[in-house]
Amino acid sequence: MVQFLSGYVMYTFSSIVVYIALATLLHLQFGVTGIVNFGVVGFFGLGMYAFGVFLIQYHIPYIIAMLLATVLTGVVALGLGRVILQLDSQSILVATLAIATVVEDLATSEKWLTKGVIGLGTVPFPFDLGPYSQVAYFLLALVLTILIVIYAYRVESSPYGRLLLSIRDNEPLAQSLGKSTSRQKLFFFAITSALMGLFGTLHASNVHFLVPRMVSPGVTFTVWIALILGGRKKVLGGLIGTLATIGLFDFVIETFVPIPASAQSQLMPVIKLWIYGLALMLVLMYRPSGILGEKKL
Amino acid sequence: MSFITDALILGIIQAAPLVLAAVGFTLIFYLNGFINVAYSETITVGAYFAIVFNSMLRLNFYLAIIPSALLSGVISVVTYLVVFRPAFRRGVESTEMIILSVGLSFFLRYSLRLIFGSDLYSLDIVSPTSVRIFGVGITNIQLTALVLVAVISVALYLFIYRTNYGEMMRGLANNEVLAMVSGINPVRVSVLIWFIAGVAGGLAGLFYGVFSFVSTLLGWKLILIVIMVTIVGGIGQVRGALIASIGAGIITAAVTLLTKPLYGEVILLLTFIGVLRLKKSRR
Amino acid sequence: MAEKKIHIKNVAKSFGGRTVVNIADLTLGTHGIEGLIGPNGAGKTTLMNLITHRLKMDHGQVVYYPNGEELDITSRSMDEIARLGIVKTNQIIQDFESLSITDSLLLSLSTTKYEQFYRIFSEGRLRDETKEQIAAYLDYFRFTDPNGHALSAGEKKLLDIIRCLALKPKFLLMDEPTAGLPEDQTIKVMDLMKRKTKEEGMSILIVEHDLDLIWNVSELVYFMAEGEILIQGTPEEIRKDRTVAVKYMGVSYV
Repeated sequence: MVQFLSGYVMYTFSSIVVYIALATLLHLQFGVTGIVNFGVVGFFGLGMYAFGVFLIQYHIPYIIAMLLATVLTGVVALGLGRVILQLDSQSILVATLAIATVVEDLATSEKWLTKGVIGLGTVPFPFDLGPYSQVAYFLLALVLTILIVIYAYRVESSPYGRLLLSIRDNEPLAQSLGKSTSRQKLFFFAITSALMGLFGTLHASNVHFLVPRMVSPGVTFTVWIALILGGRKKVLGGLIGTLATIGLFDFVIETFVPIPASAQSQLMPVIKLWIYGLALMLVLMYRPSGILGEKKL
Repeated sequence: MSFITDALILGIIQAAPLVLAAVGFTLIFYLNGFINVAYSETITVGAYFAIVFNSMLRLNFYLAIIPSALLSGVISVVTYLVVFRPAFRRGVESTEMIILSVGLSFFLRYSLRLIFGSDLYSLDIVSPTSVRIFGVGITNIQLTALVLVAVISVALYLFIYRTNYGEMMRGLANNEVLAMVSGINPVRVSVLIWFIAGVAGGLAGLFYGVFSFVSTLLGWKLILIVIMVTIVGGIGQVRGALIASIGAGIITAAVTLLTKPLYGEVILLLTFIGVLRLKKSRR
Repeated sequence: MAEKKIHIKNVAKSFGGRTVVNIADLTLGTHGIEGLIGPNGAGKTTLMNLITHRLKMDHGQVVYYPNGEELDITSRSMDEIARLGIVKTNQIIQDFESLSITDSLLLSLSTTKYEQFYRIFSEGRLRDETKEQIAAYLDYFRFTDPNGHALSAGEKKLLDIIRCLALKPKFLLMDEPTAGLPEDQTIKVMDLMKRKTKEEGMSILIVEHDLDLIWNVSELVYFMAEGEILIQGTPEEIRKDRTVAVKYMGVSYV
């Protein structure tokens, strides 16, 4: 039992929970407000690495490092959003993708800061409970993710949520009704991106050792396929989609399907992303509203 | 003085394959109105075809260029007929089309990974001879690339603006219904355009592969700058793509000579955003 | 009650070389409900869009006088101008796809107070505050499915108008409000407009092709053609004017 609680399965559950949070935050950005953020891993990774650097390179206390990293991510999102959110969706997609690439390259090349591909470590759990640290961490991540999902649920039946939906549906019309859409959109983008950074700091405490590969575009892509598959406009879309993709591959298949270990580490990541690519295409063509969505998008 | 000439010449050389890719990309963007991220794999596939013909089948590099380019064109047409055209007809809109193309890009890239693995491949070329221009060494391969770029750019420009097919393409891009009513066959023209774009992309990949090495990430690493250069240069503008590519090449070369490539990326991104905002405010 | 005026000075807008609006000096809002008529392409909608800053003017100045203040609104943003009280209805139908009729009204009636990212429990309070207003609008204009979406083009047009009215504008610009509306709804809208002008001192400028309606409700009419205001006057004066007759109505109408 102790093995189970501290072992690989709990670690995987913890990762899954973090991805659910990311997908739900993306749902808020894209599904609700209409912001095409293809730089999810940029904000996630920025929070993750900033936290690691603050904690390990500069010996800043744990909680403060977490908060600083989150705030930093929010500030970057604010700055970026200021210049790109007024552009059309395609440009926002490209610009956010570019930012994520910059973050990855930053992590790789600024070795004096991030130790590059050698890796930055060791980031400990937030608390030391011996063999129970992992499960305690899982519960922490779970609680925070549940809070995000609850927030998303409540926002969408609130006046603020209605405003965001109006921005997504017809921003000029919302403006003509006196809504300061630019400011609201920017602010919401900054907050949700900062939260992506927060979950980055959390994730750092789970993986303990940070390498640039963790902030590759594959992460953004995985979050997107999870959201699209689950249903972009639904609060639980991110949750369902994450369980159907990462949950399926990183837990179910890995645990229950007998695959030789060599194939496991070499082949599975490739096949996984290959299938995700195929799935994304099929969903967008044949059921764009996703698993939870209504028939028509 | 030498820094400037170095940056200029290196920039232009490095820009050569980028121009090819950008010109092909801008054609598809103009015709279909969306960013085809999967074009990155057209580029990669060109390099891999070259590997097959050159390293594996022992064909001379220069001879290998032809089948590689043509097959890249074919792959491009296949993606259009099997994925994008059906998607259009199912009513997928342009933002979704980009996301779909990202999916296709991952699918194709990891297909290549399954086939070729994650090893790096090198193209087999006879020891390149070198020429010095303004103190910078240029190999005959690089010269070939430059020549090809010049030829293709001019040819494409003439094609788009001076031939019937080019006119049909422009008509189709502007108003599909009207074009069809005027007797233009949209599928045939589209297939031709996607083929040409595929050839251009494949050639770009091929030359990038020669300049460094070939991996499944070759095209993916480039696609962002291809997109940015296309948007900055103006969608469908061959001249614009040319100028923007050269500009990007020079900036990257200059920055790399001075500091590290990371800053070059940041500068390009900022320039990209800056140009977009300028265009928006002028409207 | 002080009147709400908009003063347009030397405002021009061209599209691709063609001058669409060119107005030297015009003061709107001096007479309650005013009408703006003119042939298609005269620049009426463009003029309204320049006032609300949906379009940027090439040069010129727009000054707004609400209740005696003087506000230069030339460079203010679209949403700011709407908050200052200048609201325009849409000629071409505009809607929020995912919002029901009630949702649309709640959106209009909700204020910045409620629209903060941390206010996730305020829906109830907003609904309570606005219950009567919304009910009043829904009763007055009968929608087929008030809890659902606007169904016909006419209903969407109506919803557009009510969304604007819910903002309690000081100066309402109406761009062909009755196009697509059935007769009875048109009468209801116009009655409401007359009431609002009288009771709340709202200034209204209506662009319309239905001339009978214009003669009926307007105290002052402007005739616009080729980007310029050619004449202004009472409905009687405009009806009898030779230039208007020739340029717009066809001589035989008079």
